[in-house]
Amino acid sequence: MISLLGVLLVRILEGMFVLGLFGSTLVLLITFVEDAGTLLGREDSHHS
Amino acid sequence: MSTPLQPVPSAGKRVRIVVATSVMLTFISYWRAAAIVLNDLASSAFYACGIAEQAVGKSAPWFIVGVMLFSFTVRAVYVESCSMFVRGGVYRVVKEALGGTLAKLSVSALMFDYVLTGPISGVSAGQYIVGLLNEVMVTADAHGWIPRAVHNIFHGTPQFDVNWTSVIFALAVTMYYWWENIKGIHESSEKALWVMQITTVMVVALLGWSAFTLFKVGFQHVPLPTPGNLHFSNESLGFLHHSFPDQSLAQKFGILGIMIAFGHSVLAMSGEESLAQVNRELAHPKLTNLKRAAVVIALYSFIFTGLTALLAVMLIPDAVRVSVYKDNLIAGLAMYMYGPELLRLLFRGFVVVVGFLILSGAVNTAIIGSNGVLNRVSEDGVLSDWFRFPHRKYGTSFRIINMIVALQVFTIVASRGNVYALGEAYAFGVIWSFAFKGLAMLVLRFKYKGERGWKVPVNFRIGKYEIPFGMASITMVLLATALINLFTKSVATISGIAFSLVFFVIFTASEFVNRKKHALSQKHMNDQFQLLQRDTVERESLNIRRGNILVPVRDYNTLTHLRWALEKFNIQDQDVVVMSARVSRFGSAAYDLSPEQIFSDYEQTLFTRAVSVAESFGKKVSLLVVPAGDVWTAIVQTANNLESSAVVIGESSKMSPEEQAFALGQAWEALPEPKRQFVLQVVHPDGHLETFRIGPHTPTMKDEDVLLLHRLWLSITREPGLENVHHHEILTEALTRFAREYGAIERDEILKELKRTGIATRIPGAVPNPKPAPLVRKEGGDGSFPEHES
Repeated sequence: MISLLGVLLVRILEGMFVLGLFGSTLVLLITFVEDAGTLLGREDSHHS
Repeated sequence: MSTPLQPVPSAGKRVRIVVATSVMLTFISYWRAAAIVLNDLASSAFYACGIAEQAVGKSAPWFIVGVMLFSFTVRAVYVESCSMFVRGGVYRVVKEALGGTLAKLSVSALMFDYVLTGPISGVSAGQYIVGLLNEVMVTADAHGWIPRAVHNIFHGTPQFDVNWTSVIFALAVTMYYWWENIKGIHESSEKALWVMQITTVMVVALLGWSAFTLFKVGFQHVPLPTPGNLHFSNESLGFLHHSFPDQSLAQKFGILGIMIAFGHSVLAMSGEESLAQVNRELAHPKLTNLKRAAVVIALYSFIFTGLTALLAVMLIPDAVRVSVYKDNLIAGLAMYMYGPELLRLLFRGFVVVVGFLILSGAVNTAIIGSNGVLNRVSEDGVLSDWFRFPHRKYGTSFRIINMIVALQVFTIVASRGNVYALGEAYAFGVIWSFAFKGLAMLVLRFKYKGERGWKVPVNFRIGKYEIPFGMASITMVLLATALINLFTKSVATISGIAFSLVFFVIFTASEFVNRKKHALSQKHMNDQFQLLQRDTVERESLNIRRGNILVPVRDYNTLTHLRWALEKFNIQDQDVVVMSARVSRFGSAAYDLSPEQIFSDYEQTLFTRAVSVAESFGKKVSLLVVPAGDVWTAIVQTANNLESSAVVIGESSKMSPEEQAFALGQAWEALPEPKRQFVLQVVHPDGHLETFRIGPHTPTMKDEDVLLLHRLWLSITREPGLENVHHHEILTEALTRFAREYGAIERDEILKELKRTGIATRIPGAVPNPKPAPLVRKEGGDGSFPEHES
């Protein structure tokens, strides 16, 4: 039972990590484009 | 609406105190801000890969590269955090999002991170230095330069014990910075920029020479970061080692293996949190400059830390990389470049010098950062005010500094110079402080409705709810890594939890005591004082007349200068403004303080004393509190905004009046236009006075110079058509010609002549500092009173 719970916990953590990495990659790509604009002196328009 | 400052009240009336909420700072460019953060962040390049390879094997560099890429997204979280307009310390902000318990744990993890930055940096610097010394001994011995007698005493080549010598070195550096912080050194962006310039020279040389070496001698492959290529040591599996003794874990849970390896590499992005500390000091446009600084930081650390890690495994042979160079990997890289041995040894020496500069700087940053965080926690009411009590002589929060350094000294000695153990513990603090930060920011997306300059992408809407997918993703990676680190870093988990629990108990007990005390103090404050919040200090809105006298006060035991000012100045003609600067140095700058925090218990006592002094003279004073990055900037900005004709200060216990005038002059130079000159009067405890003029002023002319000018005038006015020329026109012509010559080829000649006549050394302030002296002039001994301008 404990072993099963352990495996379940590991799978949840793995799921969080993989999904998180996917989303983080999107953040990385989008901010990379924004960063290029910022460094080149263009004002960003991503305000709330 | 303007509300005038009020005089000392009659009985039953509360004293009105204006509390400015915008911090008075000397603003810095994004390059300087990036340099300050990189002094901390880039220092991890010196030890991160060595630690990661010991934990996960030869594919560690790919994980370091992965962490550095991921650090771009963590940086985005900090940019969003800095773009939120909130007041209060880190505790208040996290408490708003996660509640009191998690906020205390978050601050405890942040403290663990900050406190450990010092020991790991100090010990790592020691490892680089001792490694070089031992290498030099070996080379010297091989050339027969070491006397036979010495050789015999050591039964071979003399060698230092690397770990214990590193401990001694780390203790020496820590004690040095302890004393500097007790004295209250000012963190200089100039110095940070200089260190990063030297580091950049080293990085460029390292990358260039490595590329040449790769071309000439080839390289070893770095195994891809697949589960099959991971080779965990027993230590790096932590508590899981007992469940998976045969290392089957990586095969059984492939992604889990990747997560464990990632968790062992996260310390490569330690220092990212410093970005929040420099935000406040960034010049306009703040958000754009913050983003620029963040990009520079992320790119630089990616190139330095990421590429160096890859190159180390590609160029240093497996046989020596971990066994010899695990704790000074960049030094090892220098030794395996293509070229003559002496040149490689010299380059290694350069690497060690740079390592010493950047790592010992990180020791200082750790003390400053920890001090700043605990000061803010104290200001948030979670740590007793007792900790924040200022040093009698230097005015610094010496009790907090002592506590931090005591913890660091304990950690250094307990580590016995083991960089791996320190690194594992450090990674625990780093990942948990990031995880709490991400979690707090995620929750604040739903709770915080105020101004927010920028948001981490990707966001989409479902109905009326905005889903912060990007922020949630980053937080998930951070949380999953932090949780897995709990199981794989046994020593770090035990020490981290023990440390956090101790701080948690201190915070909880202090908060309980403070709550009662705070209620009493709040009642006292409400009875005695009325706080009027102002964003900035403006003379008109504060109803203070032009030409007023500004009297900065700090220590309620030394108000001699206030007594002197009240005795000498006629308040019918000139207002007297008593000002206290609430200084929060670098390290406590993530969020601005609320007015109640700016006007704390200490300020209450200080102003109560100041008011009673004024009452004893039966005179009115205006009271003002301003938050500031440093006291000199606060004084000149306030004097400038209030159009004060004089600033009256007491003699400092650590600076001479000339040095005080010089510091004020430097702050004046940094002021943006328009700026006005004023008189500085330094009152000694015995009532003796020294007067200086701050800002441009008519210079004192010697009699012979006046005579020379007059003779020239006589001669010139004899010329036809020049009868009406004035003395000042001749002076203008002479100065214009002088400026032209100074700007051209005769500059050196002029400087040589000035040095020969000793003029440069007579400029007040030029003596303690060789930099160009600010516009300060000392007046006669008793000083003249500044004239009232109506």
